[in-house]
Amino acid sequence: MIRYTLRRMMLLLITLWLLTVFIFSLNYFFPGDPLTNMSGVRASDALNYQLATATRAFDQGILAQYSNFLGHLLRGEWGQSLSTQQPVFQELLPLLGATVELSLLAMIVAMVIGAPLGLYAAGQRRGALDRLVMGLSLSAYSIPVFWLAQLLILLFAVKLGWTPISGQINPLFDIEVSSGAILLDIGLSDSPYRSAAFADAISHLWLPVLVLAMMPATMLMRVTRNSMLEVMQQNYIRSARARGLSDRRILWRHVMPNTMQPVVRQLGLMFSILMSNIIITEVIFNWPGLGSWLVKSIYERDYPVMQAGLFTFAALILLVNVLVELYHAWRYPQVRKELYAER
Amino acid sequence: MTLWRLTWLTPLLLLQACSPAGNQVEPLKEGLIYCSEGNPESFNPQLGTSGTTIDATSAQLYDRLLDYDEDQQDFIPALATAWQTLDDGTRYRFELREDVAFHQTPWFTPTRPLNAEDIVFSFRRWLDEGHPYHDINGGNYPFFTASGLNRLIERVVAVDPQTVDFYLSRSDSSFLANLATDFAIILSAEYGATLLERGTPGLIDQQPVGTGPFVFDEFRKDLLIRYARNTNYWRTPAHIEQLVYSITPNANKRMLKLITGECDVIPYPLVEELALLDTEDEIRISGTVNPNSAFWAFNTQHPPFDDVRVRRALAYAINRPAIIQNVYNGNARLATGILPETSWAFSPVDQTHGYDPAYAKELLAEAGYADGFDFELWAMPVQRAYNPNAQRMAELIQADLAQIGVRAEIVSYEWNAFRRRLARDEHDSVLIGWIADNADPDNFFRPLLSCNAKAVGTNRANWCNAEFDELLAEAIREQENAKRKQLYQEVENWVYREVPLIPIANSMRFQAYRGDIQGVEVPAYGGVNFRFARHVDTAATESAGVQP
Repeated sequence: MIRYTLRRMMLLLITLWLLTVFIFSLNYFFPGDPLTNMSGVRASDALNYQLATATRAFDQGILAQYSNFLGHLLRGEWGQSLSTQQPVFQELLPLLGATVELSLLAMIVAMVIGAPLGLYAAGQRRGALDRLVMGLSLSAYSIPVFWLAQLLILLFAVKLGWTPISGQINPLFDIEVSSGAILLDIGLSDSPYRSAAFADAISHLWLPVLVLAMMPATMLMRVTRNSMLEVMQQNYIRSARARGLSDRRILWRHVMPNTMQPVVRQLGLMFSILMSNIIITEVIFNWPGLGSWLVKSIYERDYPVMQAGLFTFAALILLVNVLVELYHAWRYPQVRKELYAER
Repeated sequence: MTLWRLTWLTPLLLLQACSPAGNQVEPLKEGLIYCSEGNPESFNPQLGTSGTTIDATSAQLYDRLLDYDEDQQDFIPALATAWQTLDDGTRYRFELREDVAFHQTPWFTPTRPLNAEDIVFSFRRWLDEGHPYHDINGGNYPFFTASGLNRLIERVVAVDPQTVDFYLSRSDSSFLANLATDFAIILSAEYGATLLERGTPGLIDQQPVGTGPFVFDEFRKDLLIRYARNTNYWRTPAHIEQLVYSITPNANKRMLKLITGECDVIPYPLVEELALLDTEDEIRISGTVNPNSAFWAFNTQHPPFDDVRVRRALAYAINRPAIIQNVYNGNARLATGILPETSWAFSPVDQTHGYDPAYAKELLAEAGYADGFDFELWAMPVQRAYNPNAQRMAELIQADLAQIGVRAEIVSYEWNAFRRRLARDEHDSVLIGWIADNADPDNFFRPLLSCNAKAVGTNRANWCNAEFDELLAEAIREQENAKRKQLYQEVENWVYREVPLIPIANSMRFQAYRGDIQGVEVPAYGGVNFRFARHVDTAATESAGVQP
């Protein structure tokens, strides 16, 4: 396991390094002055521009510039936004909190809905309910997230009036932003209306979470179902049956753990899809997260922000994928053995 | 199995918990949400001309020396209690109100009430290029430069703590009107000095301190602006305790948010679409006559628009009545000149070109463009009071021009980038407009077509003509309204002949409100005002005394 972990970590580091090279070279590919693209300091601001030239080694060769860029990146000095003149990294942190909160909740909901429904469908194999669940999952899987979001907004917000459609909370609740994750922030705030604020935040949350959870949930459903069907065919299940174990015991002790093995492997991929959907969802629901920030920066040609957004998303996806793989290998030793055998 | 049942139930239970929270908690009852259409450029209206910035700042954060009362069509006291004209109209003396307090905020605690120093500070900031604050945050004061106020006022002198004198270079009939605009706000000199001491003068326009009915609390770009009530306001304090601007650039989203109750008031609603939804009891729409003009400006420095025959040809080529129908849904008046009906100098004589594509073609051939030409038609990305949908308008114009063989390419950028590029004169022609800042007809001409305006970048036609400028100056020197009216007719005539721009429409400015909101004022001249806004408790009679 240690060797495997080290190998994964090396791979992560190398990929991250390649990512920084890519982001660094973007500064040269974007139109305009590379130093402005990187630091957010315009040439018209002569004093600060000179300062940035010196601190970012722009008076030296490209290698020195890169190593300097890496240093700034690691120290969290990501330059300033071209449109707000605020430091990018400080601006990013609460947005990251909001995005992580939304994606975590969506993942949890996807698992809570997807996995049990998949198991259920497998249990009812080829029955009417199996077909219904799988048919629904296929159609839900085929609906693009922007359209689904609009439809649900029309239904739940406009027609039924159950839910608001934008932001994290009614802005009249003056909740101070510290982590960016609204539920956490309400918990940390000293507002006398905490419980009302909490209810309001939930009513803002559930629709985007549902929209986001839809795609991974349907994926999970299918993966779980197929995996369970495969496990049910295995000899050890038959022998367990032959030994007279109860259905419940077979399900919980023998089927479930083995079913979840390929499901866990899919979680990394699901997260990647979730991340691309979250960008759209955040824009539609005016969620103050990384995604809407990134899209806005593209409209505004705000290169320092654009880089920061791209880097954070890419790094987040990489990190989660490696963590999922590590967990997968740790939880299911047979996978590890396969990996070593292949070497 | 119970497990399956639980799986089904969990989302349902979640849904149950999530029905909208009771609307009766204190902050919701005592606050108001205005869904504005964009980010303000700064929190100081002196620095810009954008309506979004004015709506967000002027009437909320600041006061002026005097206000304009539309009903009486006269000036009324504000921070100045009285004023007199001296020295043949070249000196104005203002007596200041006593005990007007500046905002107390976490970043500044005032030690004295408003006095003459503050007036001098506020005006010298843009008047005097040597002033320590002149170059802070850009040093560009487009309204004052375009209206010529920076050259009209020679100096501002504090006679004693409650008296200020303005010395003018000549008598000017539009001076008081300009002081009553949303741009001529009063800043705190003490705050300015404090910031200089701290070495952060730039904050004066980001963490504003004024005397207005609301105190600035926070601004999160693309998300919200939060204001709290100024309990020490020198007039009757506002009704609402909290005022939040929820920034919602998308017009459809604004409408939906109004319907779901996330906005109490929205500007520029999609009037037709709202009417289709059956929400009459919940939502009111009000339109105010707005002194504005939508026009199509040619960059007269770029060929082929340096040729008057080409400009005139295009004026004949577009079907403006069709635009009024299609873009404004009939909620606008076909412009008959630059001045809208609301101006006292307006004359009913039509001074625009009719629709005559055949003649347009002739003119083009005469100018040497028998086969037409290609050019860029810039269209604003946002809705303004004068133009709800510039993109659609551009498409209609594109189709009209195709008929005479002229090929237009429609170009647009994000709003702030759009304005920046316009100021740099990168456009061939642009669909844009103007909302008057004050009741004086001059406000439609000098900021739009004078050589000064060209220098500061509000003259979208890039038009500069010495004779024309002289005519404008003559109109402003004249004190008698009847004669001025005649002069402005001559000016209109000039625009008709030279066609630096084509006036298209004068439209209403619409707002939509939730049914329980009252008292939001949208003056014809200037930005929205929330001082009198309040919730009318319609539920109180039905569920008296029930508090959650």
